[in-house]
Formats: sequence, structure tokens, C-alpha cells
Amino acid sequence: MIEVRGLRKSFTARGTEIRAVDGVSFAARDGEITGLLGPNGAGKTTTLRMLYTLMRPDAGQVLVDGFDPFERPGHVRRRLGVLPDARGVYKRLTARENIQYFGRLHGIDDAVIDERVERLVAALAMHEFIDRRTEGFSQGQRTKTAIARALVHDPRNVLLDEPTNSLDVMTTRSLRQFLRSLKAEGRCVLFSSHIMQEVAALCDSIVVISHGHVVAHGTPDELRAQTGQHNLEDAFVKVIGSDEGLFA
Amino acid sequence: MSTWWTVLCKELLDAFRDRRMVITSLVVMPLAVPLVIAGMSTVGMKRQEEKREAVLELPVIGAEHAPNLVAWLGTHDVSVVAPPQDPDQAVHRQEYEAILRIDDQFAGDWRAGRPAGIEIIFDSSRPLQSGATIARLRGLLSAYAQQVGTLRLIARGIHPSVAQPLRLGERDVATPESRFDLAQQMLPYLLLLLAFIGGMQLAIDATAGERERQSLEPLLATPASREAIISGKILATAAFTLLSVLATLVMYRIAFTLVPTEHMDMSLAVPLDALARLLVVILPVVLLGATVLTALAAFARSYREAQGYLPLLIFLPMLPTLYLMVSPVKTQAWMLAVPFLGQNQLILRILRGEPIAAAEWALNLGAGLIVVALAWWLAARLYHREQLAASG
Repeated sequence: MIEVRGLRKSFTARGTEIRAVDGVSFAARDGEITGLLGPNGAGKTTTLRMLYTLMRPDAGQVLVDGFDPFERPGHVRRRLGVLPDARGVYKRLTARENIQYFGRLHGIDDAVIDERVERLVAALAMHEFIDRRTEGFSQGQRTKTAIARALVHDPRNVLLDEPTNSLDVMTTRSLRQFLRSLKAEGRCVLFSSHIMQEVAALCDSIVVISHGHVVAHGTPDELRAQTGQHNLEDAFVKVIGSDEGLFA
Repeated sequence: MSTWWTVLCKELLDAFRDRRMVITSLVVMPLAVPLVIAGMSTVGMKRQEEKREAVLELPVIGAEHAPNLVAWLGTHDVSVVAPPQDPDQAVHRQEYEAILRIDDQFAGDWRAGRPAGIEIIFDSSRPLQSGATIARLRGLLSAYAQQVGTLRLIARGIHPSVAQPLRLGERDVATPESRFDLAQQMLPYLLLLLAFIGGMQLAIDATAGERERQSLEPLLATPASREAIISGKILATAAFTLLSVLATLVMYRIAFTLVPTEHMDMSLAVPLDALARLLVVILPVVLLGATVLTALAAFARSYREAQGYLPLLIFLPMLPTLYLMVSPVKTQAWMLAVPFLGQNQLILRILRGEPIAAAEWALNLGAGLIVVALAWWLAARLYHREQLAASG
């Protein structure tokens, strides 16, 4: 369960203040997939970074299973599995070694790590490349390795920043299947995307962000009802105010 | 298993799989340092020997005024040749190292028993090239002068010792270990430089490189504390550098058993216990280097920017060597507490086989570790900045 209330964050770049996130509130419930939808530069990545303790909000509150990330960072990080926008893996280490490293950083016993790696290898279909060094991996293989690495500590909440970015159709399909299985296990899944079809295909609940604000929040049906549009795509264009950046 | 240990093991595994880094740090550098020093020493020794033994080609102006002197020089490995048109220019242009000019009045003065004029033309701004030749020439001329002077005194019935009020003797207390040649003076600097920035590739790769390859953000999202992460990275860098320094010292020891030193009353080999003490002296510099490089990599925005600071870091260990060159003073206690200067002094003393007191060890190591702790604190502060991971 992730709750966000009145989140704000600004940056100063060359003297001008940019409000990246300006009063974002929403909740992502357990056993549901929540989508954070918005055009490029809407503040999705910054919002997620504040959720996984990498950035401190200027104002507002984040609660992960009831814990504040800045009061109990250790608790929160153990409850979160994070696939950041940056998903680099260590190229001189095998996929397995990459995953094991993160398991150890979470303080998990090697025996438990090995067992979880086997489960993730099966769930993400990584048999072919699990013991290869990651140098020269395809985009899909790298993303799968990064996802397995993010989930090795069996977190209750899973955050993914644009998980299907630059993946081919087959990998995207299997990834969607995997996210549904995480939901079926009762986890809270929150992912960001700028691709409308992506969100429509997966989400129980959608949070639409534009220019640092939440412009709409609800189930796909509620969004259609709110905007009076039958087509979900038209609904998004309507709440964002333009179709600029939405399909970039 | 502690977090810093996990990070340390991962960074070392990563480093040892980087074949290019392993070859440069553990093979090329360790071979280069002793080869440069051994090469310089051998070439230097050979040159000195050749200069002492070779026939000296000496242009003499006015050789006809002093045929006896010229003949005498000929019996002492000097081959007298015709002088060039413009002797000053010829010396200046390094055509000859020295030219002898015999005064027109030489014969007259000689016969009258007055000091006869003779002049050595040389260029004192090139002591390395012509110093040995000029000293040799001066020695020959004063030997000739003394020989003739002695004969003149005897001819006048005076004992030659009347003109020798002093009987000058010399006793050199240098030990074979303490006799250094110029090339070896470079060893402390090269060792300190290697210890300080030898781990640069690993340190920059482990922070700036990790950020550039986008693996730092997920790493910082784990429960591992940033202090534990930098400690692991710093210790991995230090361990790798120490291995590189050790390889260099071993190569140095091997290289100097190959240099022919039988003729020289000089010991170039480093005994095993000295090797161990050298490693202890170098340890704080290795830790300081690893910490400063890690802090730098965290401060810089990119791999390239981090590398841009390297010339500055290369200069730091050079400072004490430069200081000692312009002001070669006796070791004083405070110097041992100054980073690089203290290590430089101790390395020289270990190589010269001089004893080092326990208090001196404590001062040097204590001061070194305090500086390391400060640098570590700075690196940890830089690792806590938001910009570190959240760039791009």
C-alpha cells in the first residue's frame, strides 16, 4: 500500500525554478496495478524517486505500508522493489551475480537468494542467459535482469518506471503477464508510463499526471465517465488538455 | 555478512574481470617503474665509466707556446686537436665540452718563473653533460702544475713539503645502502604516485562509471547505507592499489638483481624486511588515494570530468620531492606528520637502511590515518547528495 499526499518538488536549473511535482496525491492499493500516466516531463520519474527515498520532497508526505521513507528509510526500502528509469546492470557480472549482489545488500542469506533466483528465472523466462555476463545483453534481457534484481528481496510493493520502454512486442507481453502475477500474489504494483495502451491494458486504477499535477484519478471506466468520452484515448487527451508528448 | 564486505567483494570481482585494468595496474605499471629506474641507473653508470676511460678530444689554442704541456697531456689520454675558428661559440653550441687556450706570453712567463697563463673555456650551465670532462681537465692541469712546481723547488734546494702546509685526507662514512644515484632518488616519488593514484581506474569506475552506466540509482535504492557502500568501494580500490604497489616492489627487487653493481660500492637491492616496512609506510597513502579518488568521482558529474582532475592529483605527491630538491634539509619530527613529505622521508630512510623509532612510526601513521578519516567523511557527505544518483 502506497499513499502520497500533497507531494511537491522543485529544482533550480540555471537560476530558474522548475516545479517538477506540484501537489501530487494518490493511493496505490495492495492487489491492484496502479498506472501513473503522463506525457514526458510530467513529473512521473521525480514522483517515483521521492517514493523510493532517493529524493526528499519539499512538501507533502509519502507512506509505504504506513512508514515514512525519511523516518524509516531501511523499513521502506525493504518493502519496495524498484525498477528505476536507470536500469544499468554490471556488465562484467553474470545476470545471476547481479541479482545475488542485490540480495546480499538486502541482507538475505545466500540459500534464500538462490531459491528466489530460481523462482524469478522461471517467472521471467531467463534460463537462456542467467549465467551469461550481461555485456551484450539485449534491452529485454537487461530489463528482465533489472526486474529480477529489484524483486529478489520479495517486496510487498513494486515500483516500475516505464518498464516496457524500448522492449519488443513479445517481451512486453511476457512482462505484462508477470505484472499480473505480482498483482495476483496480492502485491501493490505501481508503474509509470507515457503509453496509453500500456496503462489501459493493465491497470485497475489510473493516475494521470500533467505538469506536476494530478489531473485525473480513477478506474478506466470512471475516467471515461468523468470525461464523457467512450474512447479511453480521447479521455486522456481531454484531461491532459492536448495530445502533445503523449505518444512520444 | 556486512554490507561493506559485500560491496568490497563485488567491486574486486568486477575489477579482476576487467582484463585491461588488470594488465595495466598489475603488469604494465609494476614493470615500468623498476625498468625506468634500472635503465636510468645503468645508462648513467655506463656513461660515467666511458667518460673516465675514453680519450678526451681537446682543442688547444696556442699549442705551439707550450709544447711540453701538450706532449704531457698526450700521455694522459688527451688527444689535442686544432682549435675551431670561434672557440666561445663552439663551446656554446656544444661542439666541444671544453677548449684550452694557452696565453701568447706563456713561454716567456714560463722561462721567467712567473705564473704562465692558461684558460679553460667551458659552459657551466651544462653541468650534467660537461661537468665530468671539466673536472678531469682541471685535475690534469693541477697535477701537471704540481709536478713542475715540485721539480722547481727541488732545483732550488728547497724541500717540496714547504709548499704543502696541509696534508689533506678524506674519509667517507656512507654505507653501501646510503649511496644513492640520481635515478634512485625518484623511487619514493614513483612509489607515492602509484600508491596515491594507482587505483584511479577502479575508483572512478566504481562511482562515476557506475552512475554513467545507470546502476548507481538502483544500488542507492537498496537498504545498504551509503557509508557502507563507499567504505566497500574505497577498500576495494585500496586493496587493488596495494596489490599493484606490491607487484611494483617485487619487480623492483628483481630488476636490481640484474643491474651490474659489482664495480660500485653501492647496494641497490631492497631486503625483504625493508619491503614489508615500505608497504606499511605506503598504506595510509593508498587509503588516502582511494578515498580522495572516490570523493572526486562522487563530486564530478561524469567519468570525463573526474579524469580531468587527475593532473592536479599527480602534482600532490610531487610537492615534497620538489621541496626536498630546493631545500635538502635534515628530517625534523613535524615533517613526518605531513602527508607525502613524511612518507617520502621514511621511504628514503628505509632504503638507506636507517632505523626508524616507534614514536616516528606512530606519528607518521597516526597523522596519515587522521587525514584518511577526514577524506572519508568528505566522501560520505558527497555520497549523500541528491544529485549523485538523480542525474539525467
